[in-house]
Amino acid sequence: MSVPSSVPTPTGPTRTDFLSAQRSNRRKTRWLLIILTLIAAGFGASVGSVLEFEGGTAEDAIRALTGPAAVAGALLLAGASMAWSGIALAFGDRMVTGMAGAHEISREEEPQLHNIVEEMALAAGLPKPKVLVIETEVPNAFATGMRTSRAAIGVTRGLLQTLTRSELQGVIGHEMGHVANLDTRYMTAVSVTVGLIALIGNVALRSLQWGGMGRSRSSGSDKKGGGQAILVVLLIVFAILAPIAAKLVQFAVSRQREYLADATSVQFTRNPEGLISALEKLTRAAQPFPGVSGATQHLFIVNPLRQFTSRTPALFATHPALEDRIARLKNLG
Amino acid sequence: MDTTWIVIGIGVAIGLWLMMTYNRLVSLRNQAKNAWAQIDVQLKRRHDLIPNLVEVVKDAMGYEQETLKQVVAARNAAVNASGPAEVGPAESALTAAVTRLFALMESYPQLKANDNVMQLQEELTTTENKISFARQFYNDSIMGLNNMVESFPANFIAGTFGFATMAHLDIPDAERAVPKVSLR
Repeated sequence: MSVPSSVPTPTGPTRTDFLSAQRSNRRKTRWLLIILTLIAAGFGASVGSVLEFEGGTAEDAIRALTGPAAVAGALLLAGASMAWSGIALAFGDRMVTGMAGAHEISREEEPQLHNIVEEMALAAGLPKPKVLVIETEVPNAFATGMRTSRAAIGVTRGLLQTLTRSELQGVIGHEMGHVANLDTRYMTAVSVTVGLIALIGNVALRSLQWGGMGRSRSSGSDKKGGGQAILVVLLIVFAILAPIAAKLVQFAVSRQREYLADATSVQFTRNPEGLISALEKLTRAAQPFPGVSGATQHLFIVNPLRQFTSRTPALFATHPALEDRIARLKNLG
Repeated sequence: MDTTWIVIGIGVAIGLWLMMTYNRLVSLRNQAKNAWAQIDVQLKRRHDLIPNLVEVVKDAMGYEQETLKQVVAARNAAVNASGPAEVGPAESALTAAVTRLFALMESYPQLKANDNVMQLQEELTTTENKISFARQFYNDSIMGLNNMVESFPANFIAGTFGFATMAHLDIPDAERAVPKVSLR
């Protein structure tokens, strides 16, 4: 197989092929989504088992956990998260641009930006997305769109002022990567599932409070106690841990998608240096600007709310640490 | 009785496979054709832009008439080329000529101050980039198509329905080839 002349030759033993990097990223993300659905299903099962619980022994508790109500609960929650995702996927892509105060910009106003977006659309073999600008000095960029045919790429005014042409190309390539990999869709599905798990955890804890008190008043201390206590404790643990676990999965998915978009950018531009130096500049200048919140932070190329120059907050970060991103980009060659 | 069902099952499976393979070949070929069309658009755009650029820089670059002539000659040769086999070398030569012109333009500060020149240079730069990105996508598409057309067992279907391999297009990357030229 002949290698195109523009691809740099391998430089070291650590060099990875960006296509296989993309594959492994996709695989990891798929696993994270499966884990998320399993969390939802397990949660539904434990809610169902507590509701249906009859008898008093530990065996009864186990039977309840595998009983029809538990199965129904699992299916219900898994199904609900899917249906919910579907609704969000149909309407979710408009909210972001409104929230961050982005406005569409014409080719006459920013010819170079339009040119670069067209270049990256050609590299991706996709239609040209809408081009948006956020009027702020902080350099940052984002992408949105549930479908590749209805996507938008936004940059801040500060980004246009700070970056060179090849750096800007790397950033737009990263955003085009989000579009090509359907990350908005993915992250919407994930965040909806996470929200649903959190909501149900909340409801479960509250209903346990109310229901538990009512039952103890009416039936007193009968033989039901032992087995149900196990289930209730299980449910409480689940109701507290499941939302946290789901959130961790969400952050992990978000970080995988950032790595994937970086790799895709290099696949498009064949120029890792542009993106590396852009990421260095952007991370150094990262700070919050109006319209940015916890709900939109994961959309941007560098996190606008926190500076990730160290590895310490890795588990709860929407973006990988800068050093890790650059290290991977250097490995891509 | 059982064997009848097995035969029917195998027949249906083969039919489905035929259908999917054929459709996949069609979509790959359309993708490749579309990618080629994209390159074509950009090549035409470059052919249109070059005379304009030569026009606005020729007075300032009085000592570079030879380079300007080469650019125009390369451009005219590229305009007359057709098909991947001819277009590749002709456009390569044009890319090299334009790259040389860009490098020489660096030595004329008065051109940098000229909005018209800067605008044309940005347009030409993006067109060069678009050519190389479209070529990249075209070659990737071609590789997908060619792999399928040549590999067993899809090659039988490809042969029966007249799907042929397509040629790679090689035009060197303009951006990477730009040499650093400076007066100081």
